[in-house]
Amino acid sequence: MRSQTPGTNVVLLSLSLLALVVWLGLDTVSLAANRIVPGTGYRIDEILGWGGALATCLPWLALVGIAWRPTRPRLVLALALVVLMLSALPAWLALSAETLVDIPGARLGIGAGIWVVLFLLLLALIELRTRLVLGRLLGWGLLLPPVASAGFCLARWLEPLALWQEYRSRSDQFLGAVGEHLLLVGVAVGTSLALGVGLALAMRRWPGVQKVGFGVLNFLQTIPSIALFGLLLAPLAWLSANVDWLSALGVSGIGWAPALLALVGYSLLPMVRNTFVALEAVDPGVVDAARGMGMSRGQVFRQVRLPLALPVILEGVRITTVQAIGLTAVAALIGAGGLGTFIFQGLGQAAMDLVLLGALPILVLALLVDALLGALTDILRPGGAE
Amino acid sequence: MTDPRRWLVPMVWLALLLAATLGMGQLEGLFRWLESDSRQVIYARADFLTLLGRHLLVVSVAAALAILIGVGAAIAATRPWGRDFLPLVSQLASIGQTFPPVAVLALAVPVLGFGTLPIIVALLLYGLLPIVRNTLAGLAGIEAGVMEAARGMGMSRGQILRQVELPLAAPVILAGIRTSVTINIATAAIGATVGASNLGDPIISGIVNGNTAYVVQGALLIGLLAISVDSLFSRLPMSGAR
Amino acid sequence: MIDLIHVSKRFGAAAAVNDISLSIAEGELCVLVGTSGCGKSTTLRMINRLIEHSEGEIHIDGQQIRRFREEALRRRMGYAIQSTGLFPHWTVARNIGLVPRLLKWPAAQVQARVEELMELLGLSMEQFAGKYPHQLSGGQAQRVGVARALAADPDILLMDEPFGALDPITRESLQDELRELQARLHKTIVFVTHDMDEALRLADHLVVMHQGRIVQQGRPLELLREPADDFVESLLGGEDRGLKEAALLPVSQRMRPLSPRLLARERIGQHASLREALSLMLWRHAERLTVVDDADMPVGELSLRRLVGERSDD
Repeated sequence: MRSQTPGTNVVLLSLSLLALVVWLGLDTVSLAANRIVPGTGYRIDEILGWGGALATCLPWLALVGIAWRPTRPRLVLALALVVLMLSALPAWLALSAETLVDIPGARLGIGAGIWVVLFLLLLALIELRTRLVLGRLLGWGLLLPPVASAGFCLARWLEPLALWQEYRSRSDQFLGAVGEHLLLVGVAVGTSLALGVGLALAMRRWPGVQKVGFGVLNFLQTIPSIALFGLLLAPLAWLSANVDWLSALGVSGIGWAPALLALVGYSLLPMVRNTFVALEAVDPGVVDAARGMGMSRGQVFRQVRLPLALPVILEGVRITTVQAIGLTAVAALIGAGGLGTFIFQGLGQAAMDLVLLGALPILVLALLVDALLGALTDILRPGGAE
Repeated sequence: MTDPRRWLVPMVWLALLLAATLGMGQLEGLFRWLESDSRQVIYARADFLTLLGRHLLVVSVAAALAILIGVGAAIAATRPWGRDFLPLVSQLASIGQTFPPVAVLALAVPVLGFGTLPIIVALLLYGLLPIVRNTLAGLAGIEAGVMEAARGMGMSRGQILRQVELPLAAPVILAGIRTSVTINIATAAIGATVGASNLGDPIISGIVNGNTAYVVQGALLIGLLAISVDSLFSRLPMSGAR
Repeated sequence: MIDLIHVSKRFGAAAAVNDISLSIAEGELCVLVGTSGCGKSTTLRMINRLIEHSEGEIHIDGQQIRRFREEALRRRMGYAIQSTGLFPHWTVARNIGLVPRLLKWPAAQVQARVEELMELLGLSMEQFAGKYPHQLSGGQAQRVGVARALAADPDILLMDEPFGALDPITRESLQDELRELQARLHKTIVFVTHDMDEALRLADHLVVMHQGRIVQQGRPLELLREPADDFVESLLGGEDRGLKEAALLPVSQRMRPLSPRLLARERIGQHASLREALSLMLWRHAERLTVVDDADMPVGELSLRRLVGERSDD
C-alpha cells in the first residue's frame, strides 16, 4: 500500500526531465537562406552560449523540484510556470530571429526541439489540470496567455518565421480555404444529420431497414476515403458528361461533388448509429411510466425519448464532424479545395512550412469543434455538466 | 468456433483481391472504355503485386509496433507502479482521437522527411491511440468482483493479468486493433503523396495526370484490401465467450 | 485459530477499523454483522491481506499473517463474495479447479476434486460442468462460488455477504446447506452480513460492529438477552427479539416428558424451533403440541405455558 501523504509526482517529474533533455539536446530553430535550400539547425547553446542555455533550464529545474514534493499550492505554482513557459516559446522564437537572421529573406524554421517541448508542456498542462481537478472551461482559459503571446510575437518580431511567411504570401487563399473547408464539413454534416435521423427512425420502425442499413453503412466505412473518392470519380465524370443539368450545376468527377458524396457516405454511419442507439437506449422503465401516465406515442417521443437521447445524438454529431474535418483534407486530392490543398501542394513542392500551414489549422479546427460540441453535450445532459 | 465456413467470406474477399491484383491487365478493355482518351490505361510504373506487398508491409510493421507499444503502455498504466500515468495516458488517448490521420501524417513529414519511415512512424503514432484507449477500456470494464475474487483466491499479479485480465479484455482490445488497422490501411494510401510507394500510387498518379483508369485501379485494390482485412477481423471472437 | 489483536485500519485520517480484538476458535462459524460502512468487510479482507492492517497483529494458528507470502496465505483460505466473482470466460468446472491448479495439483486430482465438490454442493456434473457463469441462476452461481472457495480444502473460509443478492427462499436454503456443510467439514468460517436474521441463524459466535469498533460479541442468545446498548438492541430487531430468540431455541429444550393425558393432535419435530411451534399453535388454535422424533414417534409435549414460560437455564 502506498502511503497517504502526497508522494513524488512521477508524471510531472519524468515530463520535466525529458523536456530538459530535449530542450538542450535537439535543434530549437533552423535557418534557411530561402525557400528551397534546407535549413541549418541551431541548438540552444549555439544561440545563447552554455551559460545562457543553462539559465533557461531554471524553470524546468523548478518543475522538477515541485514534482519531487508536490503540495496543492506548489502544483498551482507549477501550473503557472507551465503556462508561462508556453507563453515564452514564441518569445524564444522572436529572440532567435533577432539573434540569427542577418540577411533579408532568410527563413526561420521551428525546430524539432520546440515541437517536442511544446508537446511535453501541453502534457504537463493536462496532468496538472487533472491533479488540480480544474474545470473544462478553466483548462481552455489557460491556453489564452500562450495564444496571445504567439499573436503578439508574430505581429512584432516574427517576420522571418517561415510558417508566417507562407501564410502572408497567401493570406486571402488561406481564409478562402478555411471557408471552403468549413462549408464542405458543414454541408456534409448537416445533410447526414437530416438523412441520419430519418434513417434511424425508419430503422426503428422496420427491422429489415435496420439490418440492410447498418450492413451497407458498415461496409462503406471500411472502404478507405481515398479509394471512395477515386471510385466516385468515374461515375460522376460519366454523369456530368451525359446529364446536362448536372454539369451545369458544376458536378464533375473532380471537385466538390464526389467529395461531398463521399463525406456524407462516411458521416452517415456514426450519425445513424448514435441516433439509433440513443433512441433505443432510453430506459424502458421511463417510457413505460410515460405510457402509463397516458402520454400518446408522439408525446412520449417528443417529451421523453428525444430529450433523453439528445446528448448521445450530439455525441454522434461530434464524432462525425471531427471525422469529416479530417476527411475533407483528403478531399483536396480530388480538387475539392479546403485546407488539404496546402498540405498536398506543400508535399508536392517539398515545402514543409506550407504543409504545416494546412495541417496545423486542421488540427486546431478538429480540437476546437471537439471541445465545443463536447461542452454542448455536457450542458444538454439532464442535470447539467458533470 | 471451428466451423470452416465462418472463414468463407474473408477468403472470398481475399481471393477477389488477389485476382484483381494479378489480373488487372486482363481488364484492359474495360479501362480502355472508361478512359478512351489516354494512350495507356493500365498503371505500369510498378506491378500491382509489389504495390500491394509494400502497402501490407508498411501497415503490418506499424500495426505490430502499435500493438506492442499500445497494449504495453495501457497495461503499464493500469499496474500499481504505473497508475500515476493513467489519467494522462487515457486523456491523451481520447484527445488524440480527434487528430485527423492526414494531419498526423503531414506533421510527421517535416520532422522525419519523405519516404517509408515517416509513414511507418505516423501510422504507428496514430494507430496507438485506438489500441491504448480500447485496452484501457477493456481492462477497466472487468467486473470488480472478478478481480477481487482473483486476488482473494491467491492468484499472483502475473497470473491475474494473463489468465483473467487479458482474456476478458481481449474482445475490446481486438476491436481497437481492428479500428487501428482499418484507419491505417487508408492513411498509408495517402502516404503515397509523401513518397512511399504503395497502392496509393496509382490514385495519386491518376489524379495528377487526369487518368481515371489509374484512379479506379488503385481505389479498387485498396477498397478490396480494406474489406478483406476488416472481414478477417470480424471473424475473430470479438464478443468473446460471454 | 484466527486472532485479531488490537487491529486498526486507517485510510488517511479516517479509521475504517478501530482497535478491534477478536478470537475465532477452530471449527467456529463467526459472523460479523453491522450496518454498511461499519468496517466488517474491511476486517474480513484484512484476514487474507486484500487490505493490509495498519496497526495491531493478526495471527493464523499462532503465526503472524505478514510472515506468509500474500498469495500463499490466500491460497490456504477459501474466499466467497456476494458478486461471486466467477471468471466469466471459464466453465464452471475450470472455475472450481482454480486454486488446486494454482497449487499445482496434478490434473487428475484437480478433476477428482472438482467432481467431489460439485457433488457436495448438489450441482450435477453432466448438467453444470461445461456451463459458463452467465448461464447459471444466482443460487447456482453462488454454489459454484462456495465450491471454488472450498476447492483446495482450506481450513478457513472467508465469506463476504455471499447470499446477499439472492431471493429469500434461495438464501434460506443456502444458509441451511452452509450449516450442514459446516457440521460435516468443521471449517473455521468468518462470515460477513448486514442481515441480522442470517447472522442469528448461522452464527456460533456473533460479532456486532459499529463505526469501526466491535460493540458486542458472544453467542447469539447472549446478545439477544443482554444487548450491550441501544444500537445492538435496535439491530437485533427491538420488539421482534422474542421471536428471534424463539427461532434460536429448539422445541426439545422446552418440552416436557409425555404425560398420561391424551396426545395433542398437532405434532411438531423435536428439532423445530420454538418459533415454529408458536406459529403452529397460533395457526391451529392449539395450546398443546406433541413433540415427535425423526421417526415420527412421540417423545414429549409442549404447552403454550411452557413455551412462553421461564427460560430454561443453559
